[in-house]
Amino acid sequence: MITIKKLTKVYQNGQFQVEALRSVNLTVEAKEFVSIMGPSGSGKSTMMNIIGCLDRSTSGEYYLDEVSISSLKDDALADIRNKKIGFVFQSFNLLPKLTALENVELPMVYAGIGAKERKDRAMDALKKVGLEERVYHKPNELSGGQRQRVAIARALVNEPSILLADEPTGNLDSRSGEEIMGIFQDLNQEGATIVMVTHEPEIAAYTKRIVTFRDGEIISDELVENPLSTRRNFL
Amino acid sequence: MNLIESVKSAFRSVFSNKMRSFLTMLGIIIGISSVIMITSVGQGSQVALTGEFDKLGVNMLTISLKDPSKATSRDQLTMEDIEIIKNHPQVTSVTPLYQGGNAQIQLRNPKEYRSSILIGVNESYKDISALDFLYGRFLIDTDVKMKSKVAIIDDGLAKEIFGYDDVIGQQVYVQVKQVKHPFTVIGVIKNPMGDFASLFPDQIPAMLYMPIGAVHDLYGTNQIQNFAVAIQDKDRINDTSLELTKMLEKKHRNENQYYVQSATESLDVINKVLGYFTAFISFVAGISLLVGGIGVMNIMLVTVTERTREIGIRKSLGAKNKDIRIQFLIEAMILTIIGGLIGIGFGYLGGLGIGSLMKITPKVSLVVVLLTVTLSSMIGIIFGVYPANKAAKLDPIEALRYE
Repeated sequence: MITIKKLTKVYQNGQFQVEALRSVNLTVEAKEFVSIMGPSGSGKSTMMNIIGCLDRSTSGEYYLDEVSISSLKDDALADIRNKKIGFVFQSFNLLPKLTALENVELPMVYAGIGAKERKDRAMDALKKVGLEERVYHKPNELSGGQRQRVAIARALVNEPSILLADEPTGNLDSRSGEEIMGIFQDLNQEGATIVMVTHEPEIAAYTKRIVTFRDGEIISDELVENPLSTRRNFL
Repeated sequence: MNLIESVKSAFRSVFSNKMRSFLTMLGIIIGISSVIMITSVGQGSQVALTGEFDKLGVNMLTISLKDPSKATSRDQLTMEDIEIIKNHPQVTSVTPLYQGGNAQIQLRNPKEYRSSILIGVNESYKDISALDFLYGRFLIDTDVKMKSKVAIIDDGLAKEIFGYDDVIGQQVYVQVKQVKHPFTVIGVIKNPMGDFASLFPDQIPAMLYMPIGAVHDLYGTNQIQNFAVAIQDKDRINDTSLELTKMLEKKHRNENQYYVQSATESLDVINKVLGYFTAFISFVAGISLLVGGIGVMNIMLVTVTERTREIGIRKSLGAKNKDIRIQFLIEAMILTIIGGLIGIGFGYLGGLGIGSLMKITPKVSLVVVLLTVTLSSMIGIIFGVYPANKAAKLDPIEALRYE
């Protein structure tokens, strides 16, 4: 699903060059649930941005679903973000003036899907994360956990190849955080491929594989033998 | 993303910030409403003037000396010329005209006078100039032959002298060269200057129509300043002018001394001047549109900065650069188009207000409305492009990080 070979990212910071990623190799297969860990400045966020097609590598190769991403233009990258990637951010990143339903419809608006189908699919996605009662609420009328569930519904609605989560529990209390991890586990169970950046080992323990970055390189890549299980079913 | 979605989302953001949107539109509203107001009053006056000229008759010619100061006694127009002009088959009637200036007419208070023009004509004048009679009659040929001391005055003057307008048979006193002469009123007409004149009663002299011989006697002259000629076919006005000139030149045995002018010609000149005037003031008003446009650009730049994060989110969800560009461009256009529409409304109301003061009906033509709507959307595009491009070019990662 994801194949990364000798990927390097160099930032020009004034007269200094900062190597955020140094010749990284990484493969993620379909239906994996991977967490990317590491201290700040380790390159994990840069990795995330490149996988998410928000940023380009300086050199090296990146294939997503066998498509080479490195050479694509802005519009093609936008198209990939729209159709193949679902983002879940630490700060939710919902548009405050839109209702939950309209927020979930947004990726489909950019995909050019008609209004009727958009609404139906957004309703289904919100139902899936347990928010069917809250579809007409604006983000500021929802709790943190609920906002993150809207964001997950939005990430899923275009049926992407991969779900990218950047510290998805970072702004949540531990109970809501656990809920969100439960949702991720259920989605993974149903076949979703998930890559999640976190710096909390307790959160990474819910995933099946942990990749650790330090100074722009992968220092460990281990399977989790017994992923932590949430007590309840969330979906 | 299709256009309807972009328009919907642009409307939403324009209306979610009502006060700011309104203030931004204000510049456009003021600019467009001034343009509409000025052009509507300008066109209204043109229509009104054309109407006044129609009353004078479009198939009318006036013949005069090109340059009276260089004319010799041989060149002077005379009463005998009337017969020459009448011989032309196109001519239906002719009147000589002598306008005596420097005349005063005594008002109700015997010590007050109003300056007047004494227009000496013959009985044919009524066929040439459509005078609007309220009471009495115009001159008849005996009045002209006898040089009777009779006059036709307008209702405004009648009211100034007598306090009412049905003044047939009353005496008016006309003072020329320090001598007072009584004239008997035989007809009262509606003021031919229409409502324009009633706005400035002091600036515009009163006009009295009298037998030309009587006026000649007052001034001790037998000069004819011009002939007013009515012709049958107004499409033949140019040919007839030339032929009449030839006939007069043959009789007076001179060349290039006479000048023939048609009423339509003077109308064209006045309309042209009015048109330039309107265009110039509209241009000045247009400058306020420029200022309004800069205001729109300024607010759009602020909006882009404020919504950097939103732009980042939209891009992360798959918005292409052009989707963002179109979204902001449409927002700028909505501001200027709505401002333009409100401006058209206010401009029309303003035109009605000024029009009712000037006693004219302002005229808002469809062309002007379409032009101003196009103009305001153009302003939206011109001043929206830069902010929209700035939004479209934002780096998604930077934008997402923006607090």
